[in-house]
Amino acid sequence: MKAVYQAGLALRHISLLAIALAMAFPFYWMMTSALKTNDEIWQFPPTLWPELPLWSNYVEAWLAAPFGQYIANSVIVAGSIVLLQIINSAMMAYALTHMRFRLKGFLTSIIMLGYMIPSTAVYLPSYMILSKFYLLDSYAGLIISNAVSVFSIFLIRQAFLQVSHEMVEAGQIDGASHSRILWTIMVPLTRASFVVLALITFISQYNNYFWPMLITKNPDLQLVSAGLRSFFVEGGAYGLKWPLIMAASSFTIIPLLLLFLFAQRTIMQSVNLSSGIKG
Amino acid sequence: MLKRTGWLNELKAVLFTLPAMIPITVFWLAPLAYVFYLSFVEWDFMSPDKLFVGLDNYVYLLQNPAFYQSLKVTLLFCLGSVLPIMAGGLGLALLLGRSLKGSALYRTLVFAPWVTPTVAVSIVWSWILEPKVGLGNTILGAIGLPAIGWLQDPKWALVGVLLVGIWKSVGWAMIFYIVALRSVPTDMLEAAGLDGAGAIQKFMHVTLPLISPTTFFLFVVQTIDALQAYDSINVLTQGGPSGSTRTLLYLYYQSAFESFQVGEASSISIVMIVICVLLSVLSFTVSRKMVHYN
Repeated sequence: MKAVYQAGLALRHISLLAIALAMAFPFYWMMTSALKTNDEIWQFPPTLWPELPLWSNYVEAWLAAPFGQYIANSVIVAGSIVLLQIINSAMMAYALTHMRFRLKGFLTSIIMLGYMIPSTAVYLPSYMILSKFYLLDSYAGLIISNAVSVFSIFLIRQAFLQVSHEMVEAGQIDGASHSRILWTIMVPLTRASFVVLALITFISQYNNYFWPMLITKNPDLQLVSAGLRSFFVEGGAYGLKWPLIMAASSFTIIPLLLLFLFAQRTIMQSVNLSSGIKG
Repeated sequence: MLKRTGWLNELKAVLFTLPAMIPITVFWLAPLAYVFYLSFVEWDFMSPDKLFVGLDNYVYLLQNPAFYQSLKVTLLFCLGSVLPIMAGGLGLALLLGRSLKGSALYRTLVFAPWVTPTVAVSIVWSWILEPKVGLGNTILGAIGLPAIGWLQDPKWALVGVLLVGIWKSVGWAMIFYIVALRSVPTDMLEAAGLDGAGAIQKFMHVTLPLISPTTFFLFVVQTIDALQAYDSINVLTQGGPSGSTRTLLYLYYQSAFESFQVGEASSISIVMIVICVLLSVLSFTVSRKMVHYN
């Protein structure tokens, strides 16, 4: 019986290890393909490790397009959106959970409705509205149009619902204003949810492609995904310079993998926390 | 006096909601009304006037074979990504079990693709799926199968695009199933075991019903995600070859931003909105029932 159990355990480990390695293999393939010469990358069968690793490919790719600028754009835009969403989600969630006012039911149902409708479906009219405000091709347009997320409001609302209303009443008796109660009592109490909001929003905005690509044509304002995509299709790079394309993909992907390794517990937990919203 | 504070409180609350409500109104409510209006006009972004054409855009859409093709592709795309992601996620969660040494390492490796940018990993996959020397066909050749035009053959292109999405999201589904499986009470499984149920029976009659809320949640969220898939299609196939990967969303994108048919594009987006609302209503009613069931 014990032997059967041991064999089963070994089998599980072997299959899990095989699957995990297969899942990670595209990353390995990307980083090593980046080190090959153009001749070697077209060689059949492909080599598992380059005969002569060309580390200079990474430098060449970095210099071939303004990737530093793209990454900076993504960080600035994603960072600003995170800050704005923390502020407006906290205020909105506070009003919905701990303030009493007539429009509350109406606003809650608007937010619920917002949860149902895919943002991609309104990209066309949103594009036209941005253009009326002369906000196409600007940081402001990129940031403002993503300033609110119904998901973030739900997440924080869920957290604030767990906080007893007596905390708010106690604060009011002590003469604290609503904003003081919100920022010095509620937010610190629910900081775990704000960390989740920040991580998920940052990752998705940093990776965002469709909407930023539509509203920015100026290459200096491109986010990293759009920048990488232009590098992929432009200037005959397509098909001719695969090692450089793989190198460029590597330095787009590696920062996120590092962020993930650093914060993996929080990120994986946050995925679960976010599931509570729909339920 | 009382009346005045009531009025003041109302104002304070409204002020708290403004930082969220202004962007929601400008970038979500107004566009929603606007797209509805635009679906009744003919316009090309350039000409000064929008021509009111009534239901013409909808009539045209219903006569357009590309629309029916994209509906079919969308259905295949949704099923082809949602079912493998859920089955794979559940399978991995079952393999990991409740307490397996080293499971953290496996979890990390399987989940990692989820955080990476879709555009960048799609570019990497387009190299893996390269027909002549790509890894995909090398592996097929090694096990004696013929090479496939992963992204070039209309029969296979959808599969090629789906592979990227499945690879990216299977770890995400796995995390949900790990938590769901942990919440299945062990004494129920033991009781079923004492009643003579085998491993498969225990799974079918105890585990699967108990984790059904998670399955349902994943189904809805993944379907809505699949309906909105753009990045991977844009990088890998741009809807081709011969429309074999053109989903409803991609058709909408092409008619809006490539052929500048504002009215036609808006009528497609109304169809998408209706599908999503129906899905959400379904999810709402079913999850209510499940709460009772629990």
